[in-house]
Amino acid sequence: MLLEFDRVAIHLGGREILSPTSFGVGEGEFVCVIGPSGCGKTTLLRAATGFVAPTAGQVRRQGRAMSGPSREVAFVFQDYGRALLPWRTVAQNVSLALEAARVPAAERSGRIERVLSTVGLGAHAGKYPAQLSGGMQQRVQIARCLAQQPQLLMMDEPFGALDAMTRESLQDELSRLVREQGLTVMFVTHDLEEAIYLGDRVIALRTNPSSDKPSLAAIIDVKLPRPREQLATKEDPEFLRLRRELYRYLGHH
Amino acid sequence: MRLPCARAFVVPVLLFAALELYARTVGRDSDALAPPSAAVAAFWRALADGSLLAGTGFTLGSAALGLLLGGGLGVLLGIVLGLSPRAARISFLSVEVLRPMPSVALIPLAMLVYGFGLRMELAVVAFATFWPLLILSQAATRQVEPQLLEVAQALGLSPAARIAKIVLPAIVPRLFVALRLGVTIALVVAVTVEIAANPHGMGYAMSLAQQSLDPAGMLAWLLWIGVIGYGLNALTLRLQLAVARRMGGSVGQAT
Repeated sequence: MLLEFDRVAIHLGGREILSPTSFGVGEGEFVCVIGPSGCGKTTLLRAATGFVAPTAGQVRRQGRAMSGPSREVAFVFQDYGRALLPWRTVAQNVSLALEAARVPAAERSGRIERVLSTVGLGAHAGKYPAQLSGGMQQRVQIARCLAQQPQLLMMDEPFGALDAMTRESLQDELSRLVREQGLTVMFVTHDLEEAIYLGDRVIALRTNPSSDKPSLAAIIDVKLPRPREQLATKEDPEFLRLRRELYRYLGHH
Repeated sequence: MRLPCARAFVVPVLLFAALELYARTVGRDSDALAPPSAAVAAFWRALADGSLLAGTGFTLGSAALGLLLGGGLGVLLGIVLGLSPRAARISFLSVEVLRPMPSVALIPLAMLVYGFGLRMELAVVAFATFWPLLILSQAATRQVEPQLLEVAQALGLSPAARIAKIVLPAIVPRLFVALRLGVTIALVVAVTVEIAANPHGMGYAMSLAQQSLDPAGMLAWLLWIGVIGYGLNALTLRLQLAVARRMGGSVGQAT
């Protein structure tokens, strides 16, 4: 297991956000975390990144306990507008990851160019974030995370603030990237269909955990064939069955 | 821009004309007032004998060095205190006790330690500019987008790189507000030190003219100090614009 949650519980401000939760993420896996707002899915992701220390239990990466954020774990924030440096161009924003990793200056421009073209931003390297649409800004953030060459890519509702069309095209692009580069991803969303469409597995969380109802409501394997396709996959009977099942787990009736 | 510029000179010219008229008629025997024309003549004399250049150079030099030293340290410490709430708590009392001390009250001490000259003036200017720049940069750092600091963490930026690449650029707009304040304070304190104690610079030249009952010379220095102050402010504004342009226009909003 690349990433392991071993009875991880998190309390914030005296309230139990996440009751003891255990699961593992294997190499190359795409795991979606889903749940209503306030269920602690972002907190779980932040614990997996090392931003938050668990109150109890342990988060292990490659068998070793996490002690804090590391370059091996990249984090894509939902709020791309506040995650990019407004005073740096697209290329310079990507460059920040390389500067942090102490990549020699001579190698940087080539790598920036490559990573920008994988996310379809090759023609926008010299622009500032404010000159780009929301979808393009989120691509810049993803490009910066890819430049980091992480083992794990954490994504916190990355497409939540985008319009439906942009969201769908970015979902397909992300699937392609993951396939091509063999990335391991944890992806938080509140959108059931997005979780099933993207994930190999879906972890469903519930709010207000209690002793008989832990945070972890269900872990569901998604065995839909890849590459997936917006229309065909979402009309697949298996997709609809999973959607119905998850819907039930999340406490809708 | 050009037309309002011309209009802006109407009032000062009228005022100078009135002063000229007054000083040549009713106030011709005054020891405090001189006609502006006499002040201009005194200005040319000071320019010709080199005292203008030497005095201006001394005052500006010590103000600039003092600001560089005091302001630079203030900004650095302000960033550290802004980033670390614990450091801020520990130093809160010391800052609040030392900060309200009037900087000119330090003149006797500085004179005792350094004697007359550049170093004592520099020390007082540095003390005076240190505190406001500390407080302003601390407040600015606390308002840096926390998510940017998390980005820095996730990318694994070193603490020094975090300050240089994230915090400093993020607080540039507020730093320029602080810089403009610091420049003003540095000039005020430098001139004050020269008037009160240090026998160098523009402040000393002005008080010397006053003591030798030379109102024209005094007025010349006074106007010149005003021009210098205006020029310095204009210079910082232009610097700010140039920096804003280099940073993709993300800096200009806080002017």
